[in-house]
Amino acid sequence: MSFDRRKMIVLGAAGAAANLHLPMLLAAVAQRGSSAAGDELPAREASWYKKLEEGRVECELCPQACKVADMERGMCGVRENRGGTYYTLVHSLACSIHTDPIEKKPLFHVLPGEKAFSFSTAGCNVECKFCQNWELSQFRPEQVQAYNLPPEKLVAAARRNGARLTAATYGEPVVFWEYVRDVAIAANAVGVKPTVVSNGFIKEKPLREVLPLLSAIKVDLKSFRDEFYRKQVRGELEPVLKSLEVIREIGVWLEIVVLLVPTLNDSAGEVHDLCSWVRAKLGPDVPVHFTRFHPTYRLTDLPPTPVASLERAWKIGRDAGLNYVYLGNVPGHPGENTTCPACRGILIRRVGYRILSNRLVKGSCPDCQRSIPGVWS
Amino acid sequence: MTKLTRRELALAFGAGALAGTAQASTRRPPVHPGVVGVAEARAELGKALGQETARLAMAGALAASVGAASGVEAAAVLFSPRDVVGIKVNCLAGKNLSPRVELVEALVNLIAETGVDRRNIVVFERSDRELQRAGFEIRESGPPYRCIGTNNDFEREPSTSGAIGSCFARMVSSTCSALVSFGVVKDHDLSGVSAGMKNWYGVIHNPNKYHDNGCDPYIADVARHPYIRNKLRLTVLDGVIAQCHGGPAYRQGGIFKLGMVAASTDPVAADLWAWREIESERAMRGMPNLEAAGRPVRYLASAAKAGLGIDDPERLSVVTV
Repeated sequence: MSFDRRKMIVLGAAGAAANLHLPMLLAAVAQRGSSAAGDELPAREASWYKKLEEGRVECELCPQACKVADMERGMCGVRENRGGTYYTLVHSLACSIHTDPIEKKPLFHVLPGEKAFSFSTAGCNVECKFCQNWELSQFRPEQVQAYNLPPEKLVAAARRNGARLTAATYGEPVVFWEYVRDVAIAANAVGVKPTVVSNGFIKEKPLREVLPLLSAIKVDLKSFRDEFYRKQVRGELEPVLKSLEVIREIGVWLEIVVLLVPTLNDSAGEVHDLCSWVRAKLGPDVPVHFTRFHPTYRLTDLPPTPVASLERAWKIGRDAGLNYVYLGNVPGHPGENTTCPACRGILIRRVGYRILSNRLVKGSCPDCQRSIPGVWS
Repeated sequence: MTKLTRRELALAFGAGALAGTAQASTRRPPVHPGVVGVAEARAELGKALGQETARLAMAGALAASVGAASGVEAAAVLFSPRDVVGIKVNCLAGKNLSPRVELVEALVNLIAETGVDRRNIVVFERSDRELQRAGFEIRESGPPYRCIGTNNDFEREPSTSGAIGSCFARMVSSTCSALVSFGVVKDHDLSGVSAGMKNWYGVIHNPNKYHDNGCDPYIADVARHPYIRNKLRLTVLDGVIAQCHGGPAYRQGGIFKLGMVAASTDPVAADLWAWREIESERAMRGMPNLEAAGRPVRYLASAAKAGLGIDDPERLSVVTV
């Protein structure tokens, strides 16, 4: 078998988990072991679909709106039509688990320095040519090693590891919506805060149903141009913008990440349009992170994003009136710090995923008492 | 039947020692653009063809596809004794609508009789489970041939071909030096037709990504990847029982007894023939054609444009035996 690297991701995660005193968890989840292709994947009826004529179904979870014939799957690769009933094949089937600092998501305004028990299944509803997690997201569940990890066990493992948060991340939580929902319910029941890292490419109804269960969500806004979404992502811009507005309307804490890909989405004009839209539609207090691209997956012919491009975006964002503009994947850059928009004092000093200092007092600047929005307790 | 000399036998056994390693043929066999060899083969649903019937049909279609005097002679034109031959079967629809074991074995025998070591003939599908459901017996090392699922044994990095970016099964990228697509004649709810070309979706890790727009241009893009294009020798279509509606899964109401086996060195022409037969059956039943049914067959034009074969019905040459 040659999916060694994908195995390594999982084993690495499992190893990390073991280091974090998860032998019980691993003993429990090892019941499944590898998901060899010959196995019949466990399935639960999916939540969002409608039945069509002649045994076909239409998925109503994401804007791809896949029409799926019997024995076929949607674009995500994790939902399958079996005799006219649509199933999710990944509920409780985690292929990657890890305890990360919340800064890694990144959610800079959510419990700084706390651990997020992070999990993912296989599958994704888009195909970014620059996907950083393609060895999970672009594979089908039978193609990666995975563990049976029901929501209650996942949350119990999070607590044992001192994680105050869970994070559905790495792959695309939209495609394991039912698992995300059930983990969030289990987490909330014991005071653990559920968070999600998503592309936001989801239909409004399922988004609205899950949002009240979440403490925070980070959305990757991959570009402000529909053409980029169609060519580089195989998605659409408009539904993502709609999701961002719905998230703000519901009031769940939101942060946005924009991966700047050299020559494709990093022009000053596009960054300006994006920041102006965020300012106008979402407000100045939504953090926007501009992060550095590194060549991977199908975009290996471009260089890493020049720091100058990131710094230009940083300035454009602040000039557009955004209060919290950050830079990512440039450890040690001042763009990692949280600054008070009133007195300009540094409130949280970061290097990479590490917190060097946190001067916030009850969510406010200690110098000018400006309230800083976020989830601080 | 072609008889092998002792020297040829020795060569064959020498090749056998290299089982599992692709030895590229030193020659590229000729392609016969637009030519589809068709032989009659009738059976009831769920009933096997007799061994001799299967051999006659397979040999007849194969011979007609390349203008050879016999099936073995035709196979000898297409395959070298040094080849590792991979026969990709499409077993998605289970036993009722997958390539018949007896037809596949007839092809295996014809190829073996040209001197290709049986250990170097691999019948494969995505998984062991799908093969077993279609009635194949898993044979890791043969005899009389190998029969295995690729079971997620993919290249580690994706490679791009047109609009697709996929990790290919190592079975096609490195194990095999010659390939056969062995499909069935059936309707597909998105691409219109699933015959020989769409069968190659089974060698990429992410077929689910490429079903929009009637699978176009993706079917052509998979087929024109060098792993496929440079190794494809033959497309065989089992049309003993075909399906004109309700595919790609088996659906009883769409089944019809076409009673034919087709072979072609031109993958586009083979699918064009399948399309024609499906449309013919639909017309006989008073059903709308595939375009009117909302699934126009677009991928053949893209495949022809990419130089993979002939999609012009006027240039389709069906040689019936």
